[in-house]
Amino acid sequence: MNESLINPFSISHPTAVQTSLFATALFAKFDPSGRYIAAGRANGSAEIWDLETRAPIRWLDGHVKALTSLDWSRNSRFILTSAKDWNVVIWDLASKSDPLQRHNTIRFDAPVASASFHPRNSQVILALLTTGDAYVVDLRKEHRSRTELYEVLEESEEEEPSRPGMTCARFDPSGKHIFVGTTAGSLLVFNTRTKTMIARHKISGAGTMKGLEFSKSGRRLVTNSSDRTLRQFVVPTYPHPSSIPPINAGVNMKMAVDGEEPEPGAIDEQEPGAIDEQEPGSIDEPQQHENQEPGYIEQELEPTHRFSDPISKTAWHAMSYSPDGEWLAGGAADPAGHKIYIWDISNDGQLASALDGGREPLSHLHWHHTKSCIASTTIHGNILIWHCPSPERWGAFAGGFEEVDENVEYEEKEDEFDIEDAAVIFARKMKAEEEEVDIDTGSEPVAKPIPGGTSADDEDIAWAEEEPDGDDKLGWAMHVVMDDGEGDDYL
Amino acid sequence: MDPLAGMDDSSTDDDTASQTTEDDPQVPEHHLPPAPAPLPAQIPSTARVPAPAAREKPHYALRHTLRGHAESISAVKFSPDGKLLASCGAEKVVKIWSPETGEFLRNLSGHTAGLSDIAWSSDSVFLASASDDMHIRIWDIETGLTHKILKGHTKWVFCLNYNTASNLLVSGGCDGDVRIWNAARGKCMKTLHAHLDYVTAVHFNRDATLIVSCALDGLIRIWNTSDGQCLKTLAEGHDAICQHVQFSPNSKYILSTAHDSAIRLWDYQTTRCLKTYTGHVNSKYCISACFSVTGGKWIVAGSEDHKTYIWDLQTREIVQILEGHTDVVVAVATHPTQNMIATGSIDSDLAIRIWVDRGPRPSA
Repeated sequence: MNESLINPFSISHPTAVQTSLFATALFAKFDPSGRYIAAGRANGSAEIWDLETRAPIRWLDGHVKALTSLDWSRNSRFILTSAKDWNVVIWDLASKSDPLQRHNTIRFDAPVASASFHPRNSQVILALLTTGDAYVVDLRKEHRSRTELYEVLEESEEEEPSRPGMTCARFDPSGKHIFVGTTAGSLLVFNTRTKTMIARHKISGAGTMKGLEFSKSGRRLVTNSSDRTLRQFVVPTYPHPSSIPPINAGVNMKMAVDGEEPEPGAIDEQEPGAIDEQEPGSIDEPQQHENQEPGYIEQELEPTHRFSDPISKTAWHAMSYSPDGEWLAGGAADPAGHKIYIWDISNDGQLASALDGGREPLSHLHWHHTKSCIASTTIHGNILIWHCPSPERWGAFAGGFEEVDENVEYEEKEDEFDIEDAAVIFARKMKAEEEEVDIDTGSEPVAKPIPGGTSADDEDIAWAEEEPDGDDKLGWAMHVVMDDGEGDDYL
Repeated sequence: MDPLAGMDDSSTDDDTASQTTEDDPQVPEHHLPPAPAPLPAQIPSTARVPAPAAREKPHYALRHTLRGHAESISAVKFSPDGKLLASCGAEKVVKIWSPETGEFLRNLSGHTAGLSDIAWSSDSVFLASASDDMHIRIWDIETGLTHKILKGHTKWVFCLNYNTASNLLVSGGCDGDVRIWNAARGKCMKTLHAHLDYVTAVHFNRDATLIVSCALDGLIRIWNTSDGQCLKTLAEGHDAICQHVQFSPNSKYILSTAHDSAIRLWDYQTTRCLKTYTGHVNSKYCISACFSVTGGKWIVAGSEDHKTYIWDLQTREIVQILEGHTDVVVAVATHPTQNMIATGSIDSDLAIRIWVDRGPRPSA
């Protein structure tokens, strides 16, 4: 709201370490409001830090083994932690209990590699196990289920096609689709509502997928893979599931939903010729038409950019887009230093800067949701907060003083030294003061729109928004817990 | 009006540190000549501009007179949930009252010198107080105990405020420093050498990205909370020494009161004064002003002529004058949800008065 006063220049990427938090963290993630950062630790606990006071304010003790991932719900009320102890725990920060109690626990039968909330409803959770299986867990009363995501394999001559393990799984920012990377170097796309596979993208030369990350708008996707290259793709638009020909798809669907019948309505609704009504730019799959074969799209995706370190060929630990999607930060898996590479996406993916964070190697990195600010975690557990330092403006200390970058020849205005009648000036001032002012509206926090449209025009979104989770911004505030511990010099 | 009239009728409970309820039928007779009903009627005569008649006007009437302070009152503040009223003054204690009944509830004692300002946390659980003993105390209202003592100021602490999230406190001292505190830990996070004279008011904007401060050096400064940089300085005229400043509820403007008997509303982005409210007297004391947004949009401020003035935010006309105090009204506060105003006075009066607007009365 005060962007114009605080940052006179347009947003840029961070360049310097502002502060470091000694958090003994494995990784750290900003919350969507940008006021907190959550650190996951090797002892199974997580810590929430207040970025304003730079002090931990909540401790989440619920796991007995190292955390593997952490996610915030869209308005920061709920936190999900996954750990190697086979559990995913959900925490409600609006709860007044101190210490915070678990809100919900989901137990799996293998260590959980990562887990995340559905962007529109924190009661829908995507979990990936270290065994290479991905599950969608729905905690809503009406939909209570746990569904495994199955890759539909091509029917080949070989007798036993081995299913490649899943190595990373993410909701796209709209929540309509789930993207899964596999050991075979392909990217699978599932519909979140029906849990059916709708597309498989082979990414040539990538090897095992190690990570994937979306830009805020959901239009761009970057993948990390074992060939030490980050690839950026433009996310294709997928035809509405009901427009996929149902003829043979039924077979695949059945395989995919694991005992849960797809809603017949979704398929029956298909109008003849719907496939022709695809928006321009969406994938048109001619082969699909011809043989009426798979219920999914098989397509190779060509990256728009490839980012790699050509000289030392370092691998990447993590990557993150800036809020506007103009910059991409990559954290290098350099064993000797803490290096963050920043590419300028709007400028054809040129390397804009390489930030050096000292000797402690980097293990994780995350870009702030609204600001030009990055949190990078070192292997020693310190979280470095990077910002763009603004130069001191000494002119701000003098009222009515303006700083200029270079000397300018001053041109006197025509009427500058005219003597005006005080009464006229006063009358003009009074006239100007007649103008109405608005003192109490216009700064209410507004919920950020989630990309992908609204529930009115999309049944996937309508489905996701059923049984809201209660995470609306106005509904809660993090209450301040007074610290009674050390440093308390109360008499 | 006899300035001692107010003192007389309350003499009975002055020493019991209790309150008088003005609802008492026999009191209004000799206490308030313009008793509740006739008050609105006299507005047209005092308004500077012929009334445009179309605009609504406030109809505040005295509800309670709270007595108990033995020395000058410096601040009154409603809790954000509206259930409590806190007041402080030169006598080392914070007093908590019920604004609804006018009842005195509790003293918070512990400071070793007089108090200049108090501030509530957003959840109404904690209260911070600024004292001449150079400390800030954070009180737990439920228990009445000190939760934290914030030490760091090198001179009297004059003003303070919480941010909306209530994880930060900002305070201004008589050494010209502004300090930002971690409220949960009671530790000073940052000291801004902000001014060359008494810092008389500090306030966070709504999302706590900015702090506005003003001082007796006549300057209003806006600071970036996160890095402590000065972003802007607003200077008024030489005679307009600013003594109180705050952001508007939506944080788009700032409201300042100055010693040239004028209250100004500024657009701090463009450094332009949008509105000037005049008619009251303010040339000596540190008098605060506040926004009233629960009903009509008003500006409310005390005055050195013992009255409290209410201006229409847009037209800048005086729409009501509250009379009853017998000394300078320095402290004023508006209720967060109801049409209620609390005012506090100094030296010879020492009372807090609560005024309530129940809407226009059918001509009594």
